This record gives sequence, C-alpha cells and structure tokens, in this order.
Amino acid sequence: MACSGGGSSKVIKSVARQVKPILSLDKADARRRVVNLYKAWYRQMPYVVLEYDIPKNVEQCRQKLREEFDKNRHIKDIRVIDMLVIKGQMELKETVEIWKQKSHIMSYFKETVEPKPQGFLSKFLAGHE
Amino acid sequence: MLTPTLARQLTRAAKCVGQLRIGGAAVAPVRLFSTPPPGQTPPTLPPPETRPAVRKVNSAVRQNLIEFGGYVAECLPKYVQKVQLACGDELEVLISPDGVVPVLSFLKDHHQCQFANLTDIAGMDVPTRPYRFEIIYNFLSLRFNSRIRVKTYTDEVTPIDSCNDIFKAANWYEREIWDMYGVFFANHPDLRRILTDYGFEGHPQRRDFPLSGYVEVRYDDEVKRVVVEPLELSQEFRKFDLTSPWEQFPNFREGGKPPSLTEEVKLPPPKPK
Repeated sequence: MACSGGGSSKVIKSVARQVKPILSLDKADARRRVVNLYKAWYRQMPYVVLEYDIPKNVEQCRQKLREEFDKNRHIKDIRVIDMLVIKGQMELKETVEIWKQKSHIMSYFKETVEPKPQGFLSKFLAGHE
Repeated sequence: MLTPTLARQLTRAAKCVGQLRIGGAAVAPVRLFSTPPPGQTPPTLPPPETRPAVRKVNSAVRQNLIEFGGYVAECLPKYVQKVQLACGDELEVLISPDGVVPVLSFLKDHHQCQFANLTDIAGMDVPTRPYRFEIIYNFLSLRFNSRIRVKTYTDEVTPIDSCNDIFKAANWYEREIWDMYGVFFANHPDLRRILTDYGFEGHPQRRDFPLSGYVEVRYDDEVKRVVVEPLELSQEFRKFDLTSPWEQFPNFREGGKPPSLTEEVKLPPPKPK
C-alpha cells in the first residue's frame, strides 16, 4: 500500500509507506501492550506451577518468562511487536485454560536439549566434521 | 392394403423409432428410414472430437459469467481490481484487501447474486510477491446454481478483516488460515490455533517452512514425558537433473511459458463524472 502521492520527492520520502495497523498506533502503545502481557504472565505463574505440577518453582518460571521476552528485545517494528503480543496472548490463554499439558509447559525449559558442540574436538566426537 | 391390426402395429413401431410426439389428435408423419428423402441434403456432421478428455465449456454460461463479472466490477469499482475467468468458466474476482467485508456482503445480500454459501476459504503463499499471501474465498449461490471465487492478498503483518459477521462458516476457515499461514484476521471472535499442537511454533503451510519441521517430538523415558527437541536433518546439496530425453509436453516446452489457464474479462472503462 505504497502511498502514491504526487509532488516533490521530499513528500514521498516523508510518507514512505502507509500501512494498516494491527493493534497499536505508536511505539508507546505497543510498549504498553507488551508490558501488560508480561504482567499477566507474571501474575499467572504461581497458578501455572500449582496446576501443572511442574518440577519448577515460581522464581524459575518467572526467570524463564523474562528470558522469553528478552529474546525479542531487538524487534522495533510495531506491527511485528503486535503480532508477537497476539501470539503471546493466545499462548497465555492456552496455559490458563489448561488446554496445554505438562510437557508443553516444560518444553520452554528445554532440559533434554543437548547444547550444540562448539570446539573442534567436540564436533569431531559428535560426528559432525 | 393393410389390415387394421397391422396398421396399428406399424404405428406403434413408428412411435418407438421416431420419437413421435402426439399433440392432441394429430399425428406427425414419421420417417422410418435413415436415408434422406430425395432433394434434401443430409445434415452437416459436427467436427470430429480432438480433445475428448477436456471438459467442455458452455458458451451461454460463459457469456453470462462474463456479464456478471462486469456487473460486479461496475457495482464495486472501489474494490474490484480485476475480473477473470479460470479454466473457461470459473469466475474470479480479484479485490483489494480493504474490500473483503463490503464485497462479500454485496455478493451475499444483493438480489442478483445471493451467494449465501461460503464453500471454502483457501490460502496461498508465493514468497516472491510483495504481498506474499493470497486468500481465496469460494462461494456458491444456490438460488442461481452458480459459483464465484473472490481473491485478495496480504502479507505477514497486514491484518485482513474477518468475514465472520457475514458468514458464520468463516470462523474455522479463518482459524485454519491463521494457523497454517499466519495471516491475522482482524475482528475475528475466536482466533486461535486449530490444526497444530499447543506450543507449536511457525506456520506449516508457508513455503519457507522446512518439510521436516523445526522440532521433533518424542517420549523421553528419563523425564517421563514428551519432549520437544530441535531437529537437524542435514543433507548435502544435491541437484537433480529431471529433464527427460523424450519430449513429453511439447506444448509446455517450446513456447517457454505454458498457456495461462486464466483469461481476463475486459471491464468497461469508468464512466466520466
């Protein structure tokens, strides 16, 4: 939906791309949504630990929550942030309603995933090179 | 001289052979033999069938569809971008993404459309396009025994208006498209996953989603639960030479581009104000 406005190139540059917003209209709005989502998850954590009966305590879960949010810290595009917030809300709902199971919650922790071999020798032993 | 019984029998035979229609008391004369009477040329035979496997297109139906497509474009000039016929007699209306709700409510509620049945909503992903996703709505009008296809486009972060308020059938179809392609439908009452497992990441019908997926799911005996682990199926780069020494589809080879299945309907120029 590139804006096809006549006039000088300066005008075109200033209104480069008019896009349809998903939810947020500006940065502050998007940030508010992210913080709200974080708070909702944060407050849900005791219930998650209790209801899913996972071998973690609330502190560890909140640390993991922080990690998951920090993973997307570099994203600046408002629409991408909105999309992630929407997906986060859906996931929160799945968690709250106990549509998920214990293994789905525990898959955030990636306990059984072996770290990738880094050095030459470990790569050799793993059979990659 | 014929006896009355024989004459009756002959008449009955004539009825069977010549598909005699009796209107009132008058009986039309019947030709019993296939040779034409003298002084009359035999009827011209239709040209021999050259493509018996290809479905025939009824030209009257086709003309109706062309006119109807033009009519839709005339009624909604703001949203309809192109009207085309696919495979000879499948009407397709290509609209801008803003016009989903108005166009669909027009097609449903207008007296001469009455496409009240939303048969399906499909998605399509062409990563080379600037708007990579195509959303395809298929409609059926039971009143006019007619089908129409409405196509629009979007990309990963542009929301499309949900048509759930117009067609209740759209609820799950849109959830499927959200799940498979990641197209967000604005104002959908219950947009969540429908086909994938909880915790699944990514949208499997996107062309850049690998065939093997990103993760593997298995039961781990040590932790006594199902675990999800990243999957790495490395494969050496291979190039397959699929060209055959025999020419199988010369039509598609020699011209370079295969013949297009769609054909644009010429829209009348917009009327001056």
